[in-house]
Amino acid sequence: MYKLLLCLRYLRTRYLAFICIVSVMLGVATLIVVNAVMSGFSTKLKDRLHGVLSDMVVDTDRTNGFEVVREARRPLTPEEAKQNPAVPGARRAYSLGTRVTPHAREDYYVDGDEHVTVRTLTPDGIIHEITTGPAGQYVEAITPTIDTFAVLQYRDRGAVVAKPVRLVGVEPIGRTNVGGFAEYLVRQKGAPNPSFELTPEALQRHEWNLMQHRHEHGADAPPPPKLPVADPLAPPAPDMKLDVGIERPKLTGAILGYGLAHVRYKDANGQLLEEQVLRPGDNVVLTTAGGDDLKPVWGTFLVTDYLKTEMSEYDSSFVYVPLDQLQRIRGMAGRATSFQLKLKNYDRDKEAVAKELRKVFPTREVMIRTWEDLQGPLLSAIDVERSILNILLFMIVGVAGFSILAIFTMIVSEKYRDIGIMKSLGASSWGVMQIFVGYGLLLGTVGAGLGTALGLWITHNINAIEAFISRQTGTAVFPRDIYYFKEIPTNVDPLTVILVTAGAVLIAVLFSLLPAWRAARLHPVRALRFE
Amino acid sequence: MLEAANLTKAYRRHAVQVPVLNGLDLEVRTGEFLSVVGASGSGKSTLLHLLGTLDEPDSGTVKLDGRRIDNLPARERDALRNRTFGYIFQFYHLLPELNVVDNVLMPAYIGHSTLNWWKGRGQWRKRAHELLDRVGLSHRLTHRPRELSGGEMQRTAIARALLMNPRVLLADEPTGNLDAASGGEIVKLLRDINRDEGVTIVMVTHNLEIVHATDRVVRMVNGVVTDDTPGAPKQLPFQPLMLAAV
Ligand SMILES: Nc1ncnc2c1ncn2[C@@H]1O[C@H](COP(=O)(O)OP(=O)(O)OP(=O)(O)O)[C@@H](O)[C@H]1O
Ligand SMILES: [Mg+2]
Repeated sequence: MYKLLLCLRYLRTRYLAFICIVSVMLGVATLIVVNAVMSGFSTKLKDRLHGVLSDMVVDTDRTNGFEVVREARRPLTPEEAKQNPAVPGARRAYSLGTRVTPHAREDYYVDGDEHVTVRTLTPDGIIHEITTGPAGQYVEAITPTIDTFAVLQYRDRGAVVAKPVRLVGVEPIGRTNVGGFAEYLVRQKGAPNPSFELTPEALQRHEWNLMQHRHEHGADAPPPPKLPVADPLAPPAPDMKLDVGIERPKLTGAILGYGLAHVRYKDANGQLLEEQVLRPGDNVVLTTAGGDDLKPVWGTFLVTDYLKTEMSEYDSSFVYVPLDQLQRIRGMAGRATSFQLKLKNYDRDKEAVAKELRKVFPTREVMIRTWEDLQGPLLSAIDVERSILNILLFMIVGVAGFSILAIFTMIVSEKYRDIGIMKSLGASSWGVMQIFVGYGLLLGTVGAGLGTALGLWITHNINAIEAFISRQTGTAVFPRDIYYFKEIPTNVDPLTVILVTAGAVLIAVLFSLLPAWRAARLHPVRALRFE
Repeated sequence: MLEAANLTKAYRRHAVQVPVLNGLDLEVRTGEFLSVVGASGSGKSTLLHLLGTLDEPDSGTVKLDGRRIDNLPARERDALRNRTFGYIFQFYHLLPELNVVDNVLMPAYIGHSTLNWWKGRGQWRKRAHELLDRVGLSHRLTHRPRELSGGEMQRTAIARALLMNPRVLLADEPTGNLDAASGGEIVKLLRDINRDEGVTIVMVTHNLEIVHATDRVVRMVNGVVTDDTPGAPKQLPFQPLMLAAV
């Protein structure tokens, strides 16, 4: 009884108790805020890093894409043996013809005494094999793409600009189903069925561009370059000029990374400016390499939309074009260089899927990677940062713990005489110990409670606080152009908050144990003589 | 009722033994008001601590009603201090955070579980108010100790010592810090308590005047009792003795 009474009285009247509460409070608030911001940063960054990547990517380093061949052999039937007679002194070999199905090109042979079927799978065939196989149960969506490098060329104020880009051929709806595509489009943001179609406005601008061009170059303007559709492997004509027009019937749209189509710069006053250099309807030439001997090939496309992920790596490098167009340009009809997969439950199934896919693609030229594998270095950088921060935070907790210890030791020695008095009135050592441990618990609880409230409040208002500090000091605490985020991201994890709060209370109790034990052990006579 | 037999006690100071009590014998009789006198450092406070189980002797025994109490387990000694003995100190020893009533109630707080305290809280409060009334402090109930005079603090301490109806009051120079008038009032109060409630009182003092009010005086020299003077106040052979002692 007296324990509670004294705890409460000590709490109310002691200046040291106030210090102790403040130190616990600040520690808890710091931990909560730092954790919330860290976790906000890393989840946001992870989201961004996941960005345009699908959950899982199966790709090949072969420029001509996957070569998935399935061979089946069976003994010749007597009838087949009769039709394909053996030639004495030679091994029996006949080609029996070819059949093309949506899933494969099938070649039939007689090889010795066996009938051989060789099926070269098309992307659809490969997808069929994956989705009907054991991996199929985990897969929500899958789509073929061609992923390659290219040079993007366009004219800006009369001069040619060239930029290296990552050129991706996609089926827009299939790619949307896999995720990380339509949600980043500017015009067709979040559309369930985005396309490369040009809007009337874009077509209008294209017409205007053509007129402009004729006006500048007169009637004897050089003919527009022919699209190398018929023979993708033919070398470019030596007199070819880029960006002088396109073959009118083939108006193919391309989706450009936002950063490719817009330039950002600071003017003389340090003001950040953004200017659109490629508008919907403007034409760009994409030059890449194709064929077995990798000749340069190209195609002209009209800008139809932008991709804006706010990850500058993506926004300044990705260009999407229709898969069939890219197949034609590169002379790889019916082939793809990668498959993008979306899993039903990524975190649970990623390993199982990778294992099953490995059975479908057992050779080393096929790589099976999750988006985390692809972003490995960046993700591990985040992890390293987080663990270093945790060590530092742990040290803060240690410092706070020892300051509690110091304050408690002071409180106990301030109370020496009272301990003697209580013992002379019949208080047991255990009772005295309880007073001080209870005091620790009380201070810890009050401090942690206030700290949690303060921490949550700061987390909630962190952007307002940041703006205020920036205004007062005149320097940006959180410079927007360095980070990928418009504001400081936070993520309050209830479990972390509970752990931090409980941990702080526990530490307060643990570090009050030693002083409390010393108080309990104190000899009453010595305590009474203490002045 | 309270018997000390052959008590010895020494304090250790950097491996040097400081003998304080050297085979002290003393019997405190039921209902008497006993005063202990002696030179400073003769071991009076030490004796009081041993009698009240606040400390343990190196050898010898302390018996309460024939039962040894010096070697009881801590729990039982805590209970004895809570219920059987009441302490009064020279420096009052009140808890500064608590007001007068709470200070007086402290032994009841300590001696009861929260539940039991809660059940009997009305009676305890009533008793505390009665005691404070008795010591003349009913107008100071909610004051903090630092807002009281020395005499008032000592009267609060007496009320606290009486709360649990102890059988023995152990007073260590209760007037040592007070002027003659307040000291006299305190002794008168103790005298009344001894007479009206039959509480046995052992009081250590330096003050000659006070000794007259007591039933019996023992004198300590070098950790033993040298004089044991029973008798009424102002008994003659006592005067020179006291003068010699001081
Ligand atoms: N903890 C201790 N360590 C060492 N010596 C001690 C300790 N406590 C008391 N003493 C010594 O024991 C002796 C007796 O002390 P005690 O307090 O009993 O004397 P006292 O008769 O009450 O004196 P006073 O009249 O001044 O109060 C003193 O000489 C004191 O110095
Ligand atoms: Mg003394």
